[in-house]
Amino acid sequence: MATDFWASSHYKRWIVDRATLKESRSDDLQYVDDPEYLDFFAIFFANGELNVPAECKIALNPSSHNETWKKLNFRQRVIATAIVFFRRFYIKNPYCETDPFIVIAACCYVAGKAEESPVHIKNMVAEARLFFSQQPYSVKYFPSDNSKLAEMEFYLVADLECDLTVFHPYRTLLAICKKESSNDLQTEAGEVGVGVDDGPRYWGSGDGQLELPDDAFQLAWSIIDDTYRSDLCLLYPPHLLTITALYLAIVLHVEATPVHSSPRRSSRQSSSTSLSHGKKPSQDFVAFFAELNVPMPLRYLEDSDLVDSARSAFYGHAQTQPGASHSGVCTPVESLDDAQRPHGATPTFLLQVLTRMRENRLSDMAHASSGRPVAVNKMLERTQAAG
Amino acid sequence: MHEEWSHTLLQSDPMRFYRAKRDRLHQAVTSKYTILGFISSGTYGRVYKAQSLEPDGQIHAIKKFKPDKEGDVVTYTGISQSAIREIALNREISHENVVALKEVILEDKSIYMVFEYAEHDFLQVIHHYSQTLRIQIASQVLKSLIYQLLNGLVYLHSAHILHRDLKPANILITASGVVKIGDLGLARLIYQPLQPLFAGDKVVVTIWYRAPELLLGAKHYNKAVDCWAVGCVFAELASLRPIFKGEEAKLDSKKNVPFQRDQLLKIFEVLGTPTEKDWTGLKDMPEYQNMRRLDTYPNRLAEWCQTRIRSQQGYDLIRQLFAYDPDKRLTAKEALTHKWFQEDLRPTRNVFFPVSAHHLPPQRRITQDEAPSMMGMPAPTQAQTLSQVPPGHGQAPGQHLSQQSVNLSQQSKPGSSASFGSVSGGAVGSFSGGQGGSARKKPRIG
Repeated sequence: MATDFWASSHYKRWIVDRATLKESRSDDLQYVDDPEYLDFFAIFFANGELNVPAECKIALNPSSHNETWKKLNFRQRVIATAIVFFRRFYIKNPYCETDPFIVIAACCYVAGKAEESPVHIKNMVAEARLFFSQQPYSVKYFPSDNSKLAEMEFYLVADLECDLTVFHPYRTLLAICKKESSNDLQTEAGEVGVGVDDGPRYWGSGDGQLELPDDAFQLAWSIIDDTYRSDLCLLYPPHLLTITALYLAIVLHVEATPVHSSPRRSSRQSSSTSLSHGKKPSQDFVAFFAELNVPMPLRYLEDSDLVDSARSAFYGHAQTQPGASHSGVCTPVESLDDAQRPHGATPTFLLQVLTRMRENRLSDMAHASSGRPVAVNKMLERTQAAG
Repeated sequence: MHEEWSHTLLQSDPMRFYRAKRDRLHQAVTSKYTILGFISSGTYGRVYKAQSLEPDGQIHAIKKFKPDKEGDVVTYTGISQSAIREIALNREISHENVVALKEVILEDKSIYMVFEYAEHDFLQVIHHYSQTLRIQIASQVLKSLIYQLLNGLVYLHSAHILHRDLKPANILITASGVVKIGDLGLARLIYQPLQPLFAGDKVVVTIWYRAPELLLGAKHYNKAVDCWAVGCVFAELASLRPIFKGEEAKLDSKKNVPFQRDQLLKIFEVLGTPTEKDWTGLKDMPEYQNMRRLDTYPNRLAEWCQTRIRSQQGYDLIRQLFAYDPDKRLTAKEALTHKWFQEDLRPTRNVFFPVSAHHLPPQRRITQDEAPSMMGMPAPTQAQTLSQVPPGHGQAPGQHLSQQSVNLSQQSKPGSSASFGSVSGGAVGSFSGGQGGSARKKPRIG
């Protein structure tokens, strides 16, 4: 499974088209003035999600304060998985019938287990309660009862159709730009002899390595981070996102001049590299992309998506968390156009929009189209009795 | 006005409508399956035999995870890590020699995993041969069993999955003689782990099948632990009793993992005491000093195999599966291409192909008295009643090891290899490890 994306539930059941995404918002559209607000929700809540588990982890594991990119990788995967769960959930459910904050917490809780980094439910509830009670969310009603989160988890797992294994672009990025440290990283993680990917390689020819300067690599990494602020993870397989992020990183990173190969420590690698790169010429990025077994038209399409989404991600991001930098690296696309930043979509405003949507939805469901009131609870019955 | 009550409702029970909608759309287990009887139970919950209400009427094994309770009230406490693993892994995999998951139903705070049904398992076969037939398993059958087991294991390992609880009870056989690896409750993905394996589960693999590196306290281990277990299963099929039947030292009150003295001795008695020469990393093992205090033994494996395996190649295979050094141990892939499998008589697709009809193992025994605890449930919305399992029913009276031959005539005919694949199977392995993966298993009967 870990080797074969094409046989995975991710590929078979969870790559959807735009029409499906659009359809999934149809209920919500009845309750919102400007459809763009729904796009903002997607960004806004993903931002929330990006932060909850981060805080949890820091609270639980002080050693993870050390945010090298390696450590970031560890934690990042749990968060990324949580966000994918969140997005999958909202393919099937409208915002107006759910409480995104409980959903976020449940996504993080399940993702921790799915990625073998479980967080105790008590801690999850405590952290989520604390986090969402703060600005900009100011959610005071987040249940303190563990069973509420556990219940949400139960329904969430059902809605996710129990498909809990998610593939992420980070893995492809690491594989393509195989950092020497990525091997250390695995042994450090306690595995002897695993992570040696002996499956077939589909990129390039020969050793399939792309050598990037560290900051260009970081840039590609940050671009991938940004993809989680959009629905891209539902639309495209992760490796396409990686390739696109790399492409953007190389285009945007002016000084992405090829690195001269340094002698490799691993004998396994050196044997293969020395064959194909006898005298290491400077690497030709164009040739690298040309050799990729990836349909290029698709990639162009995606490039524009990615830039768009990165751009919109920036809006959401800049607004919900002024001054905070999500990954420590500034994505150049962020600076593309400040001028077009929409006005008015503040977190408080978005939350008001959501609350209104939910209240209206509730009221519509209580008064079904048949005209026959449906009793939802005692309180409603009383309201109805009172006329 | 509605704003007021809806506002209050949104705050007091934010997911109310979502839940109501989900419950309305939910298809209950009992609306899709008829429960035929109870198969077995364990720490994880219980397994039932069930028939699909779809026209094909397929037989399934439904594993119901124990609902969590606080006192007598069933409540949501969070899905166990073990259940999440088993579900997540099973949703991704598909192989002839691994039990297939048909669906998962989440209902009334309980999780139901619907597997293909398997009529037999290795443990039952071993008991059938040792208690009823009182003969050895024919070497061709033995070879087929091990071959298919390895074939499934190669698949799991190629998908970066460690099983971590291979043992006879977890390895199933369908009525048409296809081996199916079951019970991934302890299994996990080892591809780019976020945390070291030992951080999650302190104890893995049932004691008799536990590899020496685990017994010596290794913090890092790999696929080789499954290959050791295959060696143990191989030996057990050949001799009809566990080859290393040690006493497990229990965790102390502080949950420290004790030194497994007896189990190591049982291994040393057959394989000899390991030396630096066999195993370069030996002296770095956390329990090395403890191990040095044990008596030393010479290697007697060849002698052990003489009467039991009766093949030089078979001995060679088991010898390499029992390599002390995990790095020198045969991988599943290497084992699959071992010469023993190329020798006559070769492994067959229907493992029972050479077995005569009256020697076939009996069908899995099911009992009715346990079934009502699942079948008798009222409308699925009434959560509480579902879980009111009588306390006395914790352990099944009808463990599937029963020697009684039930309905032998209904079995597939011996040698009817043509019927291969017509009956799928795969109950979940009996009373094997549930949550936490400890080796605290029921001692077997006999």
